[in-house]
Amino acid sequence: MKLEDTGPEQVYRRNKGLLESLHIDGWLLLGLLLLLATSIAVVYSASGGDEAVTSRHMIRIGIALTLMLIFAQIPPNLIYLFTPWLFFIGILMLVAVILVGDIGKGAQRWLDFGPVKFQPSELMKLVLPITVAWLFAHSQYPPSYQRLGMGALVIGFTASLIVVQPDLGTSLLIAMSGLFVLFFAGLPWKIIVAAIVGAVASAPIAWHFMHAYQKQRVLTFLNPESDPLGSGYHIIQSKIAIGSGGIEGKGFLGSTQAHLEFLPESTTDFIFSVLSEEFGLLGVVLLLALYAFVIARGLYIAAQAQDNFTRLIAASLTMTLFVYIFVNIGMVSGLLPVVGLPLPLVSYGGSSLVTLMISFGILMSIHTHKRLLTD
Amino acid sequence: MAERLNFNSDEETYVTKRRFRFRLYFAYGFVLLLFAFLAGRMVQLQWLNYDRYHGLAEGNRVSVETLPPTRGKIYDRNHILLADNQPVYAIKMVREKMEDIDAFKRELMVLLDNIPAQKIEDYFNKFKRWSRSRSYTLPFSITEEQAARLAVINYKHPGVTLDARLKRIYPNKSTAVHALGYVGRINSKELKNLDEQRYRGTQIIGKSGIERFYEDRLHGSPGIQQIETNARGRILRKLETLPAQPGEDIHLTIDIELQKFGEELFGKKRGGLVAIDPQNGEILAFVSMPTFDPNLFVDGIDQENYSRLLYDPNKPFINRVINGQYPPGSTIKPFVALGAIENNYISPQKKIWDPGYFDFAEHRYRDWKRTGHGHVDMNTAIVQSCDTYFYQLSLDMGVDAIHDTMSPFGFGKKTDIDIFGESTGILPSQQWKMATKGKPWYRGETIISSIGQGFNLTTPLQLAKATAVLANRGKVIQPHLLRDQLKNQPTEQVEIKNIANWDKVIQAMEDVMHGARGTARRHGKGLPFKMAGKTGTAQVFSLNEADYDADAIDKRLHDHSLFIGFAPVDNPRIAVAVIAENAGSGSATAAPMAVNLIKKYLTREQPQTDDK
Repeated sequence: MKLEDTGPEQVYRRNKGLLESLHIDGWLLLGLLLLLATSIAVVYSASGGDEAVTSRHMIRIGIALTLMLIFAQIPPNLIYLFTPWLFFIGILMLVAVILVGDIGKGAQRWLDFGPVKFQPSELMKLVLPITVAWLFAHSQYPPSYQRLGMGALVIGFTASLIVVQPDLGTSLLIAMSGLFVLFFAGLPWKIIVAAIVGAVASAPIAWHFMHAYQKQRVLTFLNPESDPLGSGYHIIQSKIAIGSGGIEGKGFLGSTQAHLEFLPESTTDFIFSVLSEEFGLLGVVLLLALYAFVIARGLYIAAQAQDNFTRLIAASLTMTLFVYIFVNIGMVSGLLPVVGLPLPLVSYGGSSLVTLMISFGILMSIHTHKRLLTD
Repeated sequence: MAERLNFNSDEETYVTKRRFRFRLYFAYGFVLLLFAFLAGRMVQLQWLNYDRYHGLAEGNRVSVETLPPTRGKIYDRNHILLADNQPVYAIKMVREKMEDIDAFKRELMVLLDNIPAQKIEDYFNKFKRWSRSRSYTLPFSITEEQAARLAVINYKHPGVTLDARLKRIYPNKSTAVHALGYVGRINSKELKNLDEQRYRGTQIIGKSGIERFYEDRLHGSPGIQQIETNARGRILRKLETLPAQPGEDIHLTIDIELQKFGEELFGKKRGGLVAIDPQNGEILAFVSMPTFDPNLFVDGIDQENYSRLLYDPNKPFINRVINGQYPPGSTIKPFVALGAIENNYISPQKKIWDPGYFDFAEHRYRDWKRTGHGHVDMNTAIVQSCDTYFYQLSLDMGVDAIHDTMSPFGFGKKTDIDIFGESTGILPSQQWKMATKGKPWYRGETIISSIGQGFNLTTPLQLAKATAVLANRGKVIQPHLLRDQLKNQPTEQVEIKNIANWDKVIQAMEDVMHGARGTARRHGKGLPFKMAGKTGTAQVFSLNEADYDADAIDKRLHDHSLFIGFAPVDNPRIAVAVIAENAGSGSATAAPMAVNLIKKYLTREQPQTDDK
């Protein structure tokens, strides 16, 4: 079967729905709207009923949804065409950050464009997996070692530019999104196993190169009670918030931990703690189910994608979303060390929400710009 | 477009898709596995460890404060306040909860304009070196107005709290301090024996006198206040309150007006005076001179004041009423006489020749009156305080008979008054001397014992009690300071064989006051009631002479002036014992004091000042 056999007209004729014509995936949208609605409610509660904060949050959600809609209109082909340029621009900006970046929170992560402060690493969260997918767009299965090597080089180079900002957490997460592409492109299992073994073995070396504050975080993670008033304080209070929620929770607006200011960053990184304090185990399970649904839909879109490029992007972006969820919840519940990372789609905050919604726009685009509906 | 997104051959696409989908399934399985892992963690935190975290969350938010009880007030018998509580304010700071210590310091310097800025500066410099987490109280007392102004700006300063508490105050200052006692900060020794729960939040405790003896009733029991706080310690609202049980208000038997008057009577003299209602043992006046101001001790006395009081040669800290042990002198003569006639050692009418001295075993014992009293019967011996009569009588009686006749009146043993640390006094006997000195009794010692010298020592309180029992014709009362019906019940009765003997002794004491030859006739003149009394002048053998300044020794060797008395004779309502240290003869000093006090009590008239 050849592509030329079916014209675009036929596609549109067979998908007459409003959502389809707007290039929106209904199931994905449903999942996202449920999560965003939850987000508004919990941000409202976590901010102590601050209406200014909540309305600002809603405006950001509106902007992010609009961006999602815009990106859903962009056909994957166009993205494919511009990928090398996007990567080039992204790298340039990362270099610029290192050279002239604005100092924020002790690290150079921002570019200041007058009214807009921009975080290039946020852009790279999208650009890097797309770039690596671009490399494997024409690849055979399993891919050649040269291609895998090239992919690894691109990932390593990008990640190293972010590490020096310094932002170890983001660089690891971005590298992870690239590595997912390699995985889905057919990275041989023996290499995966070898890499995991190697990573575990090299942990002591990584320790040696870590910043003092990063080491401290790891140590505190291992024993939060050792520093109950310092960085361990966050984790102790967060665990108290979660644990005291019990099975049914304290009810909406019932978080004493957040309202009485025991919980730091309650609207951003630690919003999950507020949610689980107020809605309990039942609420947490519902949230995880909602996430699992969104991830399932993302992977389904990947499965339905027609070419290597889009299926790799879809799978990688979806799995990256998962990693963010896992790391944040693992962090606030004391399973992972504290890294500054919001809970996707729920935390208050602009840039990560925008990036996520753009990635969902790309997913929707992938799903709705298909020429063939056959499998 | 087709060139850009190059599709593989159908077969390869199929294989690729299949393998890709396998990896998708694998990935999703991994996702679900890790989500299950997270859910498991939540089950662990929210289900299995719920109780623990729930408790921690409550502990976070709810802080339990102890509400110390209000100390009971102390009143006199006429409901006049002797010990009150007044509100005072203190500033407490916890460094780790404070945001800008220096800003608060600057505001304090403006606010507390009565305190030198340097003093505040110094305190904060120290404060910054102390524990971050502990609460410290600023050592400046602040006024109610300053406290109100501070409360207004307090919201800006987390970690700073205004602590209002009640401070003990003794409105009558030094009056009756030896009865009332005082409170002070709990010291480490007291802390060991305290019920920690009951004294949580309490800083003071009764240190002496009534404050100490009735500590248990005055203290009350603390309450509990649960307070919801946020992470910075700001109090958001009050939850449950279990109010503190305030201490009991108590009434003393003291008549504070009479007490004040009694203290004024002493002037600069040292000594003790006790006035008892003989009908029920209620102590009306409890005077130990000199006194000191108990208010100095409430917040901890400063070194300067403490040294001044401690090294004062007049020893104001000594509670002379219960710890001053004096030779009773001639005041014991009525008791000895009563024992003698009761037990038929002598007939009241029997006369003895007094040449002014009494020879025994080549030793001459002198009478206070060198020329002698001539023929002396029992009445005359008491009225004129004839020593020779008793010298002779005592040899017939022997020391043990004197002991046995005086002992029921309470000499030589504690009165069990409701103050701790009472001294026993000494009522000598053969057994006593052997037990304490390891030596046999000599008859010469009996002779001087008979006039209240020698080994005899008594406290003013013992003397007053004995006087009250005498006034009661043998009804023994329990002297006490707390108004309490139970304590008012007579404890026992001194054995009486012949009630007429009591009348004879009391008649003699009446004659001391009202008779033509009475030693205190000057002071008994013109009294609107009949009064009985006995003067005493005690030679100072040894009263801690070693403690006194060399300069003062001469004066310290002057005789003590004593007097016991009661009135009205036919229905005694007040019995008094006075001991004025180194003040000369009983008739000159102690007698007018007692008479004035009794007169004041019975007539409520202003005292006559012409009595010297």
